Amino acid sequence: MDEVRLTADQLYKSHFGKMVSSLLRFSNAIDLQAAEDIVQDSFSAAIISWEKDGLPVNPAAWLFRVCKNKALNKIETSKRFSNLFVDETVRADEPVLSKFPLDDQQLILLFACAHPDLSPKVQVVITLKYVVNLKVEAIAKILGMTVDGIDKLLVRVRQKIKTEKILFFEPRAEELESRIHIVHKILYLIFNEGYKSSWGKVLIREELCEEGLLMTRALSKSAIGNKETSALYALMLFNASRFKARFGTNDELLDLEEQDRSLWNKELIQLAFVQLELSGGEHISAYHYEASIAGMHCSAESFATTDWKTITILYELLLKINPNPFVELNYAIALYYAGLKKEALDIIHKLEAAPFFNQYYLLHASLGRIYFNEGNFVLAKEYFAGALRLTGSPAEKGFIQRFMEKLTSNE
Amino acid sequence: MEKFLLLVREDINLLKKIGEEGRYKNMRLMMKWVESLAESGNYTGGEPLVMSGKYVNRDEVFSDGPFIESKECISGYIFMQAENIEQAASIAQTCPLVMEDKMILEVRPVMTINNTLLDG
Repeated sequence: MDEVRLTADQLYKSHFGKMVSSLLRFSNAIDLQAAEDIVQDSFSAAIISWEKDGLPVNPAAWLFRVCKNKALNKIETSKRFSNLFVDETVRADEPVLSKFPLDDQQLILLFACAHPDLSPKVQVVITLKYVVNLKVEAIAKILGMTVDGIDKLLVRVRQKIKTEKILFFEPRAEELESRIHIVHKILYLIFNEGYKSSWGKVLIREELCEEGLLMTRALSKSAIGNKETSALYALMLFNASRFKARFGTNDELLDLEEQDRSLWNKELIQLAFVQLELSGGEHISAYHYEASIAGMHCSAESFATTDWKTITILYELLLKINPNPFVELNYAIALYYAGLKKEALDIIHKLEAAPFFNQYYLLHASLGRIYFNEGNFVLAKEYFAGALRLTGSPAEKGFIQRFMEKLTSNE
Repeated sequence: MEKFLLLVREDINLLKKIGEEGRYKNMRLMMKWVESLAESGNYTGGEPLVMSGKYVNRDEVFSDGPFIESKECISGYIFMQAENIEQAASIAQTCPLVMEDKMILEVRPVMTINNTLLDG
């Protein structure tokens, strides 16, 4: 990529959301679509001009000046035609966000995206668009959606962003308090999206985890970060420590038992324990339990010597906060490895009897794995075959197929 | 977080047309969606319903009662928790089958002692 494109891309990555939100604050005559168009136009104009005349001394300043002129033009035009009687235009000099305890503009935007009326998925999409500054194509790829699907979500939310002034949120202390849970969830979901192994080994996903980690760190270092932030940060660090060990030499997906523990990043694990320590207090969130479970795995010498008993207790507590069959399945698996085989199988077979949850690939994969361990290869084969039918992910299919091959060689 | 019931409404004729195989395909699409709801801590449970049932009033028991005339039936239910009704509705909008116009989700807040019968 040449220098002009590279500079433009870097500026986009660091400034897109901030420029859009500044324009929205700049004038009532500019709605979200117009603001995004103006910013896009400015980038296009910059690339054309820079390719012709070379990079200016200060590309960012050049871009902002063009953007501001385009915005002024837009206001002029709309004033003449539709907003004749609106007597408010420029309030850019007002210190709109002066009461905000955070100084990082990215964090302000993050809280703006955490609007309680929006679904978590939409919150994640607009955070990726305006805070992480990803283009729609990249967001679609990351979330496994089509560009069209993302556009549809954005069209629906655009009106809401406008009427509720979502992107120029002026936070009050009590609102920050209530929104921080939503912010945590967004960061959790963004990190998970990057961490999901079903995608196989893809570079862009590591970057997404990194974005999640960086924003969480910034939040935990700011005045508004709390103990729940530390718990979430600890959880991410524990998971990040295992990043490199999740895939084998042929990029095949490895489970916890198969992973080479010497590849786990000790420094990250240490940092995670420090954060977990800091997170202690009266309020215990789901992140506390999830981080503690991850911590139990990270501190175990081997799969066999893992403290499964404690992990089952943590899952029991997590189930009280997140009562759903997905957590229940994890709880049952922990029970199985803790030696409570009958209890474990009772729970999993109960889940299997539910006609809807019965369609979950991991339910079948887990039963296949358990019967494989128990030496019941006939049942194991049946469940693995079921799991294979239920997943479309090549990484997961490969994982199951590896076990089916082991079965054949055991027969 | 508040509790909500999502009633899944589907077109009976469409369900008959797509058959058992089609219904399972839709169920797998729903599975993916529900998995993401569980990840965000919103899903608590739910089940699909058989299409026929009994309709009971004081005088009679009809085997498939009102379904004959109605174009849609309740084909399942989902329990979830959300920040508020707006968010619950916003979550329902992200259901892939709703986006494809194959399903309607009716979002109903579960009553608590703080709201009245008529409005939540």
